Amino acid sequence: MPREEMMAKPLPVVEDVSLAAMFDDPYPTYERLRREAPVAWLKPAGIALITTFDDMIAIERDHETFPANDPRSLQIRSMGHTLMRRDGEDHTTERSALVRTFSPPMVKSHWAPLFQAIVDEQIAAIRDQGAMDLFGAYCAPIAGRALAEVIGIPDVDWRDMLWWSQALIDATGNYGDLPEPWERCARASAGIDAAIDAHAERWRAQPNPSALSAMLAAGFPIEKIRANIKVAIGGGMNEPRDAIGTLTLALLENPEQRVAWQADPALRRRAFEEAVRWVAPIGMYPRSVARDVVLSDTLLPAGTPIGLVAGSACRDERKFGQTSGLYDLNRPQAQHLAFGSGPHFCLGAWMARMLVGEMAVPALFETLPNLRLDPAQPAVWGGWVFRGPLSLPVHWDA
Amino acid sequence: MTDLTIIDPAGTRHALTADTALSLMEAIRDSGIGGIIAECGGTAACATCHVFIGEALAATLGAPDEHELGMLDFAAIPPRPDSRLSCQIRVADLPPGAVITLPETQL
Repeated sequence: MPREEMMAKPLPVVEDVSLAAMFDDPYPTYERLRREAPVAWLKPAGIALITTFDDMIAIERDHETFPANDPRSLQIRSMGHTLMRRDGEDHTTERSALVRTFSPPMVKSHWAPLFQAIVDEQIAAIRDQGAMDLFGAYCAPIAGRALAEVIGIPDVDWRDMLWWSQALIDATGNYGDLPEPWERCARASAGIDAAIDAHAERWRAQPNPSALSAMLAAGFPIEKIRANIKVAIGGGMNEPRDAIGTLTLALLENPEQRVAWQADPALRRRAFEEAVRWVAPIGMYPRSVARDVVLSDTLLPAGTPIGLVAGSACRDERKFGQTSGLYDLNRPQAQHLAFGSGPHFCLGAWMARMLVGEMAVPALFETLPNLRLDPAQPAVWGGWVFRGPLSLPVHWDA
Repeated sequence: MTDLTIIDPAGTRHALTADTALSLMEAIRDSGIGGIIAECGGTAACATCHVFIGEALAATLGAPDEHELGMLDFAAIPPRPDSRLSCQIRVADLPPGAVITLPETQL
C-alpha cells in the first residue's frame, strides 16, 4: 500500500446528524464537517460528504479517479443514461451537440428577448395584487417557461415542468427505494417523452436553437435525446426558480446592498454570483471512487459513493473568510462552485445569469413599489441536496 | 519544455518553463502564478482563462474559431485583438520566449 494511504486516517462515520435537520438548515453541519471531518461518511444518507472547496476542485480535475459514470446511479434509473453520468470523450462528444444552444452569445441574441417577454408577462399578472408568495406566483412560472423554450418543448405548461422536475429529482434521490417516487417518475417520464415527440416534428421541419432541435439535428438516438431532456428538466427548473428566490430574499434582507444594487446595473452579475454562492441551488451532487484514494488525509476506499457538497464548499472559510455565511455582494470576488467546475460545469450557467440576475430579479424591484417581506409570514428555506426559499411572501404598494 | 514569460495581473513578470503536453491554461494554472481561474476545466465554457498574447503571436497562431470569439465577448475584461482563451492554446504551439499577459481579473 502506498505510504500516503498507510498514513491516512480511515473514513470517519457521522451518525448524530438527522436528514430532517439537514433539510431545515444544513449549514451548521457543513461548518462542523469542514472543521472536523472534511471527508466523512454521513450514515443517514449512505454517502461520503466532501465539504471543502479544494477537495471539490481536485475531484473535478480527476475524472479517472472520480468518475461521474456510476452503474449504481439512481439518475440512470430515473432518467436514462445522460451526459451528466459520462466521462472523458463520451461526455465531451455528447455535450458538444448542446454547447451552441446554451452558449452566452446564443443566450444574449436568441433567448434573452424570450426571457424578457416571459418576465414581463409574469410581472403584469401580479403587479396589481399587492401581496403574493413569489415562489408559486413568480419564481416557478418564470423558471418553467424559460426552460421549456430553451429545451425545445415550449408548448408545455410551467406547472407540468414543475411537477416533472420534482418527480425526476425525487426518484433520483430515492435511496430508500420507496415505490411512490418511482411511480411518479414513470408518469413524468411518459409525459416528457410525449412532449418530445409532439415537438420533434416541428424542429425537424424548421430547426431552432433549442436543445431538442440540436440533438435531432445531430442525429442522436431517441433514448439519448429523452435522457438529456430529462436531465435538463431535473437540473434546470428548480435551480433558476430557487436562484430567483434566493437573490430576491438576499436583497430584501440587506437594505444597504439593495440600494446600491438598484442604483447600479453593473452590480447585477456580482449580486447574482454572490446569491448562488451564499445558498447554492444544487447543494450536493454525486461522484464515485474508482480506486483507493486519499483526500484531506482521509482514505476513501474504491467504490465509496461520494457527494460533492457545493453548498458547503461555497462557504469554505479558507476561500471566503469568516463572513462566508453572510450575503455580501461587496466581498472580494472569488470563484464559487455553485455551477460546479471542470468538464461538467453547468451548461445552463449563462442562461441563469441572464434570466435571474439581469431580468427576473431586477424586474421585481423596478416595477413593484416598496417591495418588502411580509412581516407576518417569514420566508421559509428548505433543502440541502437542493436548497432555496420554498415560500417567499412579499408585500408591495399596488 | 518551452520557456515563456507570464505577466501577472499585478504586472510582475514570471519565467515559466512550460510542459508542451499541456494547454497554456493548464501550464499557468498549475504553476502557482495567480490570474487564471478556468472554472470549466478547459472546455471553453466559462471565459475565465482569458489572456493577451500580443499582436505578433496572434498573427502567427491565426484567429480563434467562432465559438471562442463568442466566449471572449463574455470575459470579465473586454477582449482586445490579441485576446485568447488560454485553454484553447497548446504550449506546443508557442515559440520559446513568448510573452503572455494576464488581465486584471477573470471575474
